[in-house]
Amino acid sequence: MPTSVCTAKASYKKIPGVLELNDSNLQWTQDGRKAPSVRVPLTDAASLFCSKEGATQVRLKLGLFSDDNGHNFTFISPQAVAYSEREKFKKELTTIISRNRTAAENAAKPPVTALNASNPPTPKAATTVSPSRASSSRAASVSSDTGATPIIPGNDPASDFRLRKTVLLNNSELAALHRELVIGGQITESEFWEGREHLLYAQVASEQQHKGKPGQLVDPRPEAVEGGEVKIRITPQLVHDIFDEYPVVAKAYSDNVPQKLSEEDFWRRYFQSKLFNAHRASIRSSATQHVMKEDPIFDKYLEKDDDELEPRRQRDIDIDLLLDLAATREDHEETGNEQDITMQAGKQKGALPLIRKFNEHSERLLNSALGEGPSHKRRRIDESDYETIDLDDLHDPEASIGIALEMQDRQRYFEGRMTNASTDASQETLDIKEIIQNTNAELQQWASSLAQLKIERKPGDAALLSMTQNVAARLDVKSKRNDIPDGLFRQMRTCQTAANEFLRQFWTATYPPITEGPSLTTPAQRAAKASKMIGYLSKTSEKVAAIVQTAQQQGADPARVDVAMKPVLDAVERALVFHRNKKTSRS
Amino acid sequence: MMDTLCVVIDLSVKHWQRSATASDQPLSLPAFLIQLVAFLNAYSAGSSDNALAVFAAFPGKSLMLYSSTDTQPQSTTVSGPNSYPPFQLLDDAVVSSIIHHLESLSDSEQEAPCPLVGALTKALCFINRLTLDHNTNTSNAEGLDPIALPDPRVLILSVSPDITSSYIPIMNSIFSAQKLKVTIDACQLSGPDSVFLQQAAHLTGGSYLYLERRDALLQHLTMTFLPSPSVRGAIAVPTQDKVDFRAACFCHKNIVDIGFVCSVCLSIFCQPVPVCSTCRTKFPMKTLQRLNASRPPAQPRPAPIGTNGVSKANGSSYGTPA
Repeated sequence: MPTSVCTAKASYKKIPGVLELNDSNLQWTQDGRKAPSVRVPLTDAASLFCSKEGATQVRLKLGLFSDDNGHNFTFISPQAVAYSEREKFKKELTTIISRNRTAAENAAKPPVTALNASNPPTPKAATTVSPSRASSSRAASVSSDTGATPIIPGNDPASDFRLRKTVLLNNSELAALHRELVIGGQITESEFWEGREHLLYAQVASEQQHKGKPGQLVDPRPEAVEGGEVKIRITPQLVHDIFDEYPVVAKAYSDNVPQKLSEEDFWRRYFQSKLFNAHRASIRSSATQHVMKEDPIFDKYLEKDDDELEPRRQRDIDIDLLLDLAATREDHEETGNEQDITMQAGKQKGALPLIRKFNEHSERLLNSALGEGPSHKRRRIDESDYETIDLDDLHDPEASIGIALEMQDRQRYFEGRMTNASTDASQETLDIKEIIQNTNAELQQWASSLAQLKIERKPGDAALLSMTQNVAARLDVKSKRNDIPDGLFRQMRTCQTAANEFLRQFWTATYPPITEGPSLTTPAQRAAKASKMIGYLSKTSEKVAAIVQTAQQQGADPARVDVAMKPVLDAVERALVFHRNKKTSRS
Repeated sequence: MMDTLCVVIDLSVKHWQRSATASDQPLSLPAFLIQLVAFLNAYSAGSSDNALAVFAAFPGKSLMLYSSTDTQPQSTTVSGPNSYPPFQLLDDAVVSSIIHHLESLSDSEQEAPCPLVGALTKALCFINRLTLDHNTNTSNAEGLDPIALPDPRVLILSVSPDITSSYIPIMNSIFSAQKLKVTIDACQLSGPDSVFLQQAAHLTGGSYLYLERRDALLQHLTMTFLPSPSVRGAIAVPTQDKVDFRAACFCHKNIVDIGFVCSVCLSIFCQPVPVCSTCRTKFPMKTLQRLNASRPPAQPRPAPIGTNGVSKANGSSYGTPA
């Protein structure tokens, strides 16, 4: 049973209920009901929004990775209580969200995580972050993960249990099967997972793979523009992103808050400043430009627009000679392509800062993912460079030695049927010449026979009827709706998944094990397991019969249930016959 | 709406004779041709833009009999008062060239099987040529990816059973047709159902019809094969309910439900083999044992597995079932 972290009274879609946060889910239960009607796995939580302090309703909105609209909850306790409750939820959820967002989970936290969205940034933490530090420490956080030792399922019971739980949480169908069979006591936990090891391995692999930084450029958008008022909602996440993207804002924050400006003032003035305008991710600023005010504090941090011909921030990385198009320009003056006059660097001055900003942003993203590469010394072209320009694709494909399919004795396959056909033909010897003569003689009169052509009514009608039936049969299938009642349908599904699981267990126990090396179970155990499964399987037909009976009671067409369950019964029958034959052949 | 139809006629003399002498609803070649000609006229009457080509598979050779895109030599026969010259031209070209080619069959050719697949390939080539012309005549002249013709279609009228040696060419034609977005319709006029044509129609989204009432051929043709694929959304045409996809194993030519397929050359076997007889690939022992174990124990018992993967001849390592 998951332990509850915090609970509060909250309404969802105007229906009162209880909001509960436990260690795996955020769930909301309508008053008077037992099962939660909203359940969000915490791993799905992507963002959090809160209503303003002082608003009449205390709201909390949770955005999901799978669904941007998310869920809206309103705390319905008296306002003071509601606030404290919400703060509690907010605190827990921001931690979870930031955990979901940050790539590293168990690696050593780099200093930059002090800026984690979970705790509102303190001036102290912010001062430690300079641009170069930020990117290098992020790089470290990624690379350190790759060195983590992989967890191998089956070695550590604790982590094994955790893995199984995660797999089941992520896969509701499997979880239902697990509930039915293992918790229902029909098969053991280890039997259930036998043959499903790949799911655990995949889980381990996906846990070790970390999500990189999202590539979106920070661009706070005003929510409402009314009479020149710009309203921007500031979330802890936004603050974190802004500091990360524009270290100069972090510096301004640490210089001025809280001595010179309160936090609220800081943000109000920032969003009105020229500095903010310089940080916008587009040039759609004509409207907001009027709002801009001179600001003695922020203008200090303003940098000149980066719209000179040369970018302010020079790329210090030595470009790989093989990628540098300019490197060989002088060799191609006469023969090479003419210079493209339509593309001139800096032709549109206003776009330059933006383009450069995008480039820097992309570079930062790449660096955070790749890690800061070793600084290249200017290299000389040596032998190895020539090897790298030797591209496979440029080699003559004719020269490649594929695996030639040398069909041995191709005719052999066809002869079998050919001989059938030829023996068939030899039964009657035909005088082809005569046939041709007769046919041609008849054909000479084609014009007159065409004039006399008419369709006999009876066979025409019969053909029409049979073809109409053919079409109607298909139409019938298309127009039929699925009118099996939900409950019955669920029963059918459960019956089928259970039978499938028993079949899987039976066949894995029957067939030689796939895994190399000594298998975990002895042949005797396997045989015992197989006959146990046969025991379960032999009850399948009774179960299906019961379902058919229920169908009759509920007014559904039992024949359709029969048809639907037929494949399962066939498969079960096959296993039963197989088992019986095997027993008899042994005794 | 422009339409392109290539009709492929099977002119196997032997099998037509069989069809004409069948005890149940005989259909002779002349009777068939008259109804076919009526169908072709109906198709041409649909729109003056409709392109039509007729291909025939004679014993030992395949030929194009008629194409609406090529200029035809003026008809020599005097058209009667009741005839429409374009139809007359078409009918005359088709029938008289059939007469001519049947007459000129040499003795050695008469016994040869009909290369239906050859005619089909020619039809596909013809459609491909039209596609190229179509592209050069339109704005897509320089386009790298040719625009497909609207609704190109091949109709195969077959009377002879499948020639198994043409399985691979048939399959290749089907794949080319898919690539050209050509629909293949097929009609088996007599004899057993054609597995290959069923698959051809199924894989290209066409319609396969086994002629049930041979005395109502024209009814079948107009109802099933006159509507072009584009209007079949509105006018449903009959087609086969089920397609036989089963394959014959290479080793014994049995039709198998479960086959064992070579992972290298895709040859099909009815039992696990240590070495593929087609491409000589050797399979690991372990795989063989697993595969053998999956087969019903009516055959010799699968060899039990030791932990080191070496098979043992006796079953002593098996436990007794509970």
